[in-house]
Amino acid sequence: MIEIRHLRKEFESSVPLKDINAVINDGDVIAVIGPSGTGKSTLLNCMNLLERPTSGQILLNGQDITEKDCDISQVRRKMGMVFQSFNLFGHMTAIENVMYAPVKLLGLSRQEAYDRAVELLRMVGLAEKQMNYPDQMSGGQKQRVAIARTLAMDPDIILFDEPTSALDPTMIGEVQSVIRELVRQKKTMMIVTHEMQFARDVSNRVFYMDEGLIYEEGTPEEIFEHPKKEKTIHFMRRLRILEIDISSHSFDFADAVARIDQYCYKNHISPKVNEKLQSVFEELCIQLLMSVLKDPAIHVTIEYDQPQEAVEMAVEYPGNFRIEKARKTLPYAVLTAKSESVVQETLPDGSKSTVKVRIK
Amino acid sequence: MKKRLKTLTILFIGIILTSMVTAGCSRDSSSSDEGVYTSVSELSGKRIGVQMGSIFDSVSRENIPDAQILYFSTFPDIVMALKSNKIDAFPNLRMVQTQYMHTDDSVTIIDEEIGRNPAGYVFPKNKKGAALRDQMNEFLQSLTESGELGQIEEKWCEKDESKKTMIDYTELPDINGKLTFLTEGTFPPFSYLREDLVVGYDVDIAARFCKEYGYALDVVMMNFEALMPAVTAGKCDFAASGIAITEERAQSVYFSDPNIYDRIVVVVLKKDTGSGAFFHSMADSFRKTFIVESRYKLFLKGIAATLAINILSIIFGTLLGFAMYMACRNGNPLANKVTEFFVWLIRGMPAVVLLMLLYYVIFGKISISGLAVAVIAFTFTFGVSMYGMLVSGVKAVDPGQTKAGYALGFDDRSTFFHLILPQAAQHFMPAYRGEIVALIKASAIVGYIAVEDLTRMGDIIRSRTYEPFFPIISVAIIYFILAAILTAITDRVIRNIDPKKRTKEEILKGIEIHD
Repeated sequence: MIEIRHLRKEFESSVPLKDINAVINDGDVIAVIGPSGTGKSTLLNCMNLLERPTSGQILLNGQDITEKDCDISQVRRKMGMVFQSFNLFGHMTAIENVMYAPVKLLGLSRQEAYDRAVELLRMVGLAEKQMNYPDQMSGGQKQRVAIARTLAMDPDIILFDEPTSALDPTMIGEVQSVIRELVRQKKTMMIVTHEMQFARDVSNRVFYMDEGLIYEEGTPEEIFEHPKKEKTIHFMRRLRILEIDISSHSFDFADAVARIDQYCYKNHISPKVNEKLQSVFEELCIQLLMSVLKDPAIHVTIEYDQPQEAVEMAVEYPGNFRIEKARKTLPYAVLTAKSESVVQETLPDGSKSTVKVRIK
Repeated sequence: MKKRLKTLTILFIGIILTSMVTAGCSRDSSSSDEGVYTSVSELSGKRIGVQMGSIFDSVSRENIPDAQILYFSTFPDIVMALKSNKIDAFPNLRMVQTQYMHTDDSVTIIDEEIGRNPAGYVFPKNKKGAALRDQMNEFLQSLTESGELGQIEEKWCEKDESKKTMIDYTELPDINGKLTFLTEGTFPPFSYLREDLVVGYDVDIAARFCKEYGYALDVVMMNFEALMPAVTAGKCDFAASGIAITEERAQSVYFSDPNIYDRIVVVVLKKDTGSGAFFHSMADSFRKTFIVESRYKLFLKGIAATLAINILSIIFGTLLGFAMYMACRNGNPLANKVTEFFVWLIRGMPAVVLLMLLYYVIFGKISISGLAVAVIAFTFTFGVSMYGMLVSGVKAVDPGQTKAGYALGFDDRSTFFHLILPQAAQHFMPAYRGEIVALIKASAIVGYIAVEDLTRMGDIIRSRTYEPFFPIISVAIIYFILAAILTAITDRVIRNIDPKKRTKEEILKGIEIHD
């Protein structure tokens, strides 16, 4: 059991952690989520003192590890850590990476350590790669070896610091499935992640971090479905809804498309719908509206309707331009061909119009 | 290694072939005894070579109008410069030049005296020095009165080397103490090396003096430029090497009365002497450089000294660099400040200056061998390089490696030594190898502080054979071989510590694989 009391961490120019209080029970799988730069990784680094907390206490099974006379190397042997950038030892093969610490620190014989390392590599599916050096492996393979290396020390808790953030999308699955296996084995874990679906699936508790605090805590359902506090609600909404503002003719089109692409990926929207969504966005907003509007102040909202597997796109713009006027143009033809329905509403005073498109 | 040996062999054969071709061009010098210039006034505005720190500098300026003075380190260098037409003439002592012309008749003397060189013994300016000088003056007085001084001078001007006998000073009884005598050792007939023993006019009188007054004698050789500073710093009891008595010098040392009052003459090339005349046949050069007087032994001694300095400096320098790095590693402000200053100091100084500074200033009053000072100086320079290599090598290792080590539960020390250093070594080992080669070459300056290393031995042999090229080329080839051997050893080490070069069997040593 780990208890964190009034943990504070100050850097010269910022205070990422203001007052953290938490209890982590054996068997907990805690997902730590929140916007970037809210101290999630700092919290993990403070927990095994890779970063020295400015103040506060961390009690591991009742022992205060922030005390001066605490042998931190001993404590770290019981707290495994998996890094975003894997940090496998470059001069060692996969098997040596896994064997090394148990031999040096736990006093295992080389034979014992080897047997155990082979077993762990087999568990992460890499027994065949045992003689490979890190630079001969893919990112996903490296991260799986890194997890095996951490498991070899048989830690009481494993801290995962964004374990899939540095990976190619195609490799995220293999690492997540290893972590899912650890959940089945009832390991105590704390996982900082931006993969919301994954966080929701594996955790029994979720910490939403913001403003240097654990801003809201609860079960996955409480946090993802019924968040109570303002920032959490906003964050969850932002996960579901993508908003794009076009304020000038020179706006960054490539960035907007990339954001749509990322949104679709995160929400598991099918590639087909993704492709349609991108075409509709381009034809409607860029080709059609931007060519007729003198002052393009377009606000686009995209929301995924999961049960229906459909996407709703709402485009707001000033004035009362009616898109039917352009029905003989190619953009209009593409728009109607790729969407299920197109509905236009204009305020009675003609100051603002909204086009709602549904794509399936 | 094999490739390097092949390159070396090709180089070696190339040099030999070139030498043979040029040797083929050699011809006997002309019968004309007349020089290119016949009077000193003709030399106006010409290039005059002088030895650094010698009296010839001012004598030339006074007697040859508008002379362009060029400076050289040793007498053989000046002769070589004259023959390769880099200078037109050089002043020299009659005695020295006579000695030289016994072996080479392609040069001649302009029959005009441009000055006299009263030369004598120098003593440190202290009480002991003054007492010794008085004894020496008394002794020189007695030699002059008995007419012996003249006889000694005649003897050392003979052509036949076997007539130039002198007492064996190595076994003189130590009744009133032991005297250290500094001399150039490359300045015949005043001071030169013959079969492992320094002999010559100045040494002869010094030995007679010690025998007369009951001193044991230790003769140490040193570059001429370094001779006066060494006396001033009290590195010896007395010194001589045809050192001219000047007022300027007399301000920092005591001079004895002159033991010689030699004429200064100007040396020029003989007319019609082809430049090929000074190339001797290969076999003859080889014989003179290696065989005569068992001179190969000098080369061996030089190699031993060069190797000793380099190997010790590499070992101690590596340790020093490590010690500096370990002290600074965790940001200790005092250690960092001290190291920063030390690195700044050593890096900012030419190695020769550091060497002289250590020898004459830091260890000025302590009796310490030049070899030890050389090892200390090069330990410093190598240590500073090692420190720099460690800093950049460790920086090249991803900081995540350290974090991973800590997170697994390794303490700071074992994280550094077991996880970071093996990876940093891969980054700095190529540079380390380069530093070793650089060190071997840099160590060629230790002759300045009386260490008889390979370069210095080459100079000593050149001063006897007056051979301009052969000893230099031999020395160069030996340096190439030494560098090749040391880099081959380093290469081996680099290969052995490269973790990725291990075989599967080495990685899994002592482990039984079940399936």
